[in-house]
Amino acid sequence: MTRKDHPLLEVSELVTAYGKIEALKGVNLSVEQGSITCLLGPNGAGKTTLMMTTAGILKPRGGSIRFAGTEIAGRAPHAIVAQGVALVPENRLVFPAMTVIDNLQAGAYQRRDRVETGADLERMFARFPRLKERSAQLAGTLSGGEQQMLAVARALMSRPKLLLMDEPSLGLAPLVVEEIFRIIADLHMDGATIFLVEQNAHMALKVAQHFYLMEQGKVTFSGTPGAMAEDEVIRRAYLGSAKA
Amino acid sequence: MLDFLQSASDGILFGATYALIGIGFTLVFGVMHKLNLAYAAASVGGAYCGLLIVKVAAGAPAFAVFFGAFLAGGVLGYLVYLTCFHFIPVSNPLAALMATVGMLLLIDEIIVHETDGVPLNYPAMFDDVMLRVGEFTLRGDLLMVFVVSMVCMAGLLALLYKTRLGLATRAVSQQAVAAQLCGIRVGRVNAMTFVVTGLLGGIAGAMIGASVGTLSPLLTTPLTIKGLIVTVIGGLGSIPGAIIAGLLVGGFESVLQQFRGVTERDLYVMLLLFVFLVFRPGGLFAPKGGRD
Repeated sequence: MTRKDHPLLEVSELVTAYGKIEALKGVNLSVEQGSITCLLGPNGAGKTTLMMTTAGILKPRGGSIRFAGTEIAGRAPHAIVAQGVALVPENRLVFPAMTVIDNLQAGAYQRRDRVETGADLERMFARFPRLKERSAQLAGTLSGGEQQMLAVARALMSRPKLLLMDEPSLGLAPLVVEEIFRIIADLHMDGATIFLVEQNAHMALKVAQHFYLMEQGKVTFSGTPGAMAEDEVIRRAYLGSAKA
Repeated sequence: MLDFLQSASDGILFGATYALIGIGFTLVFGVMHKLNLAYAAASVGGAYCGLLIVKVAAGAPAFAVFFGAFLAGGVLGYLVYLTCFHFIPVSNPLAALMATVGMLLLIDEIIVHETDGVPLNYPAMFDDVMLRVGEFTLRGDLLMVFVVSMVCMAGLLALLYKTRLGLATRAVSQQAVAAQLCGIRVGRVNAMTFVVTGLLGGIAGAMIGASVGTLSPLLTTPLTIKGLIVTVIGGLGSIPGAIIAGLLVGGFESVLQQFRGVTERDLYVMLLLFVFLVFRPGGLFAPKGGRD
């Protein structure tokens, strides 16, 4: 078990590079158990790279990622899923020619408890009634918002201890964005720990307890929403810092 | 008219083996987005391995030979995966392609050396059965080939749509990154795809041997080309496409062999491919839903 005073996710001095170009240049941040932590920043800051490195899709060049006291940096994605980390990827990446049910089953791929998995499937349908209506439909035929719900539900099917979400509001209509954030708040109420990357800083700061600002591969600011600096942070999240 | 029907039906029955070979190409392409050019050669190799059973136990039933070919095909499929894909960097697709060409030639050479280049007799089942409807006949051995091939395809579809491995295979072929995020090991799925297509290839090789009556190393190259034609006509990555295209090419070449002779036959098959490339480049069934 982890000690209570340890954060659930602790990233330190993380470096990830594409060839010679370092996208993460020594990132330090942490996510507390039971919190919604939000990562803001302009395009190209390295937010998605951080998510993909945490999930094991990208291999870091240096630094550490500790999850619940275990080092997971550089481990294979399936091992990280087994530890209890699930990522809702940018652009949703549903399996387009598979039915909604099969997408959810794929999310539960590592689980062997058929009965419990079936019960979780019903829970997902209760949480996302739209997915139940479309359960036999191919995922590629769903609307953007429905696909986002499916991607979230698929990630939840692995029963993660930490849910990573990369830009869940991307390309969605304002009403749908509100629905997605309502879902995020609901999940948090039910005890989930969520680490959220968002471009939509206004919405993100409404739900988060803690936020980080990332610029050019480094965390440049961290704090709690409502603090004085919020306007400045939002400006930089959209536009980048003045020197850029 | 009767000649036409007769040759078309014989060809369609035999085309089931082309369908199996096409499925092998298309499934590996669907999962890895790479071509395994050694596939038809490995399938013929598997069929040859099945004959070893007759060598050990003379008078073994044809069924045992087929089953041996099935298993040997799976083993060969895994070997092709190890030698041509597993250790070769993903970032260099041409390296894997060239490795499979090398494997195609290697398997060919081994067969030629082991058999001194002489065709070997291949056992069949029901080859003394003839179903007659007036002047029209159905050869029992060809019917057997058709039925066995169809059973294998049904087995493959059941595997893909009813099992955990099938779910993982479909997931990897549609969205490899998301599959990894679901905890699926892509490397294992790739390896299993080669084993499964290898099993099908072994059966396809054995069925070709059974319907022709002999196996010859000269089969590998034309079978590779037919397999690729079937894959393109069916639509790269589409299993139903490969099945229909396999039967179509089988029937088509048989009819043209009847009317234009065996030497001209493949010319028309190439023309058929050409027509498809010009008028329907995506094939009969372009796979729905892209990779991204």
